[in-house]
Amino acid sequence: MEYRVNLALPAELNRFEEAGLNIAKCFNCGTCTAMCSLTEGERSFPRRMIRYAQLGLEERLLESAEPWLCYYCGECSKTCPREAQPGELMMALRRWLTTKYDFTGLSRRLYLSHAWEAGLLAGVALLVLALFLLPGWLGVPFGFAAITPEAAEHVRLDLFAPRHVIHIADWVLAAFLLVFLGVNAIRMIYYVRRGHRDRQTRLSDWLGQAHQLIVHGVTQKHWRGCEKEERRRWLFHVLLVSGYATMFLLVVVFLGSFQRDDADFHWTALFGYYATATLMGVTLAFMRDRVKKRAEISKYSHVTDWMFLVLLFLTSLSGILLHLARLLDLPWPTYVLYVVHLMIAVPMLVVEVPFGKWLHLVFRPVSEYLTAVAHASESRGVQKATVRVVPATQRP
Amino acid sequence: MPYIHDRYDALVIGGGIAGMQAALDLGEQGFDVLLVEKGPSIGGVMVGLNKVFPTLDCSSCICTPRMAESAHHPRIRLQTYTEVQAVRRDGAGFAVELLKKPRYLDETACIGCGECELACPIEVPHEFDYGLGARRAIYIPHGNAIPQKAVLSVEDCVFCGKCEKVCPADCMDFTQLPERVTTMVGAVIVATGLEITPMDAKPHYGRGLIPNVMSPLAMERIQSSNGPYGRVLRPADGKVPRSIAYVQCAGSRDRSIGIPYCSRVCCMYALKQALLLRHYIHDVEVTLYYMDIRAFGKGYEQFYRRALAEGVKVVKGKVGRITELENYDLSLRVELLDEDQRLVERRHELVVLSQGLIPAWHPSAILGIEEADDHFIKAPDLKVAPSVTTVAGTFAAGVAAGPKDIPDAIVEAGDAAMAAANYLAAMGWNGTAARVPVPA
Repeated sequence: MEYRVNLALPAELNRFEEAGLNIAKCFNCGTCTAMCSLTEGERSFPRRMIRYAQLGLEERLLESAEPWLCYYCGECSKTCPREAQPGELMMALRRWLTTKYDFTGLSRRLYLSHAWEAGLLAGVALLVLALFLLPGWLGVPFGFAAITPEAAEHVRLDLFAPRHVIHIADWVLAAFLLVFLGVNAIRMIYYVRRGHRDRQTRLSDWLGQAHQLIVHGVTQKHWRGCEKEERRRWLFHVLLVSGYATMFLLVVVFLGSFQRDDADFHWTALFGYYATATLMGVTLAFMRDRVKKRAEISKYSHVTDWMFLVLLFLTSLSGILLHLARLLDLPWPTYVLYVVHLMIAVPMLVVEVPFGKWLHLVFRPVSEYLTAVAHASESRGVQKATVRVVPATQRP
Repeated sequence: MPYIHDRYDALVIGGGIAGMQAALDLGEQGFDVLLVEKGPSIGGVMVGLNKVFPTLDCSSCICTPRMAESAHHPRIRLQTYTEVQAVRRDGAGFAVELLKKPRYLDETACIGCGECELACPIEVPHEFDYGLGARRAIYIPHGNAIPQKAVLSVEDCVFCGKCEKVCPADCMDFTQLPERVTTMVGAVIVATGLEITPMDAKPHYGRGLIPNVMSPLAMERIQSSNGPYGRVLRPADGKVPRSIAYVQCAGSRDRSIGIPYCSRVCCMYALKQALLLRHYIHDVEVTLYYMDIRAFGKGYEQFYRRALAEGVKVVKGKVGRITELENYDLSLRVELLDEDQRLVERRHELVVLSQGLIPAWHPSAILGIEEADDHFIKAPDLKVAPSVTTVAGTFAAGVAAGPKDIPDAIVEAGDAAMAAANYLAAMGWNGTAARVPVPA
């Protein structure tokens, strides 16, 4: 197997960390790998990743699932004898890999250009606004055009935004997400498998380990293998995931019961409260960490890291305000908040989830899955062939 | 000699191998030298070492003649157990203020018989053996100590008076107080030597709390024939270790502990200790975990080859964590850089941290000389005048000026002596012919 050396790779990776990376400082002692409590056997990182980056072995990086096995406790950066910040490289690699797995090229623009990020979010938000304004001009009774005198007196969300219409839109959105997340995941699997062609796997390995996708998607359990201080962040993250999943299910599956039309209280609200509380609480706690630069991971914040937290927080905030307005039977505030809520949530789901930081919700479980499959095949005693790296200059 | 003169040609601070060499070189040229040592004996770190690389000569066999010569040289006034409190520019020379610490006995009367030591009921860990052996509250620093005079550690003493009863020279004096002594010198040579990186510098190496994770100097004492055990045993349970690991760069080349430089001696002392361990313990397995082997000096590369030929194993990879196991064995977590970059846990029965060298004394406040970024004394003209500091008339030698091995320290001490002699001649220092003794 041969690899082309990309001399511009270190500079390229540097663009994915706003404060700049320090990997040129690394003298490859291996302290980071030995410090990392998640690294094991030949799946060693971060040093090997740094070496690939230093040497410009772009394809080897592309074929590595290791960046997604790191949960960034920061122990490597704290103990690095050269202050080369291996942890931050792993973070930059995750951003870079996201753009590589993404076939549209949009993700790369979003990561590297604030204008693209802001423009796309604003564009989708305006589109949502237009959906509530435009039907009126076309004579379709939807959105603000559907506010009858009765609906102006009392909250009538079923007139403003009929449940069945919104539900269909939800399904379209979910399908959109599923397609992009799925394609990205398949591309990731393709690249990682390409790098380990020599490692034979059987269908039984893939099927037998499929449950790992669910287990790691829900619990991120390997995060608990990090340093003890990481337990807090792990717990917060699990809460965040549970809140997010609850809300997603309420909106996409149970919208019929969740979107109420009156000032009555309904049991689905309880789940809504749980989701809102966890989402707001955890995003606030994480934002506080980032402001105070509390942990290694919180010291260097990319714009996308902030966007992730801020949008999630604002979605929850507008959601709970909308809920209160409805309970208080305030028609106009309810309708306006409904639109505002969607103007935040939809761009987040359409832009950030399939093309941004949110993608880690797929890549992390998939990388754990691939690792588990490799483990299963290795346990059958499959021999690994040696890999030869040839610099581009020596290629025939 | 119960006095210090009011005037010396040169003050040498530190009685280790560099300080002794500088003092002797100046004394041989006819200069009067005041050699000040803060501890109760001269000899520095070297007198505690087992053997020296690359010749495997006995360290004290080289060091003790220098010590005796320094102590008995007619031109050298040796002042042990004394600290330099202040050095001020005063006319052509420097006014020096010394603090003579009390030994709680009459130093001139003590005959070094050791009766007090035998009578003393108090036992405490011995600094000379890096805490592995024991000494009494009153003790002669060690067998090769010069001067062979007892010293009473007042922190450990319970004032039972047994030493006073058995002393044949009747020299005990519990009423002694620290004494301030002042004198004038023409030039100053700083040779205050080294400490090794603290054992708790890296939290993941056990914070100095794991008994079988040792400092290299403690290993020197264990290997020495006059060491605390008399043979190589591990401290936790007295077992003969069958598998010993050296963790290279444990206290150097590491910005996370603020020591970014290479200490230059660790590769060689580790190889030397490892090779000797192969001699001392039959079939022992000794492994060095290293980043680079820096065997740079004369005969060093050959020594490295010899160590490999005699069965010392070297493994490329820096150890990340050391964990103590239930039977006092140790587990080392390391990425095998030359073996498929595998991450492994290796088990060893004894671990030596190859700690780096840091300056033992920071003279900037007292002498006004500048430190370099690495905290060793700065040499503004390093290439052509390596021993010249930022203050005229003040020179540096040995590890005080930067990490170095014994041959380099001796060469630099000679250079410092020469530079000091040239300085005194150039300024027309009017010698010490008319000096008078100051009672002390």
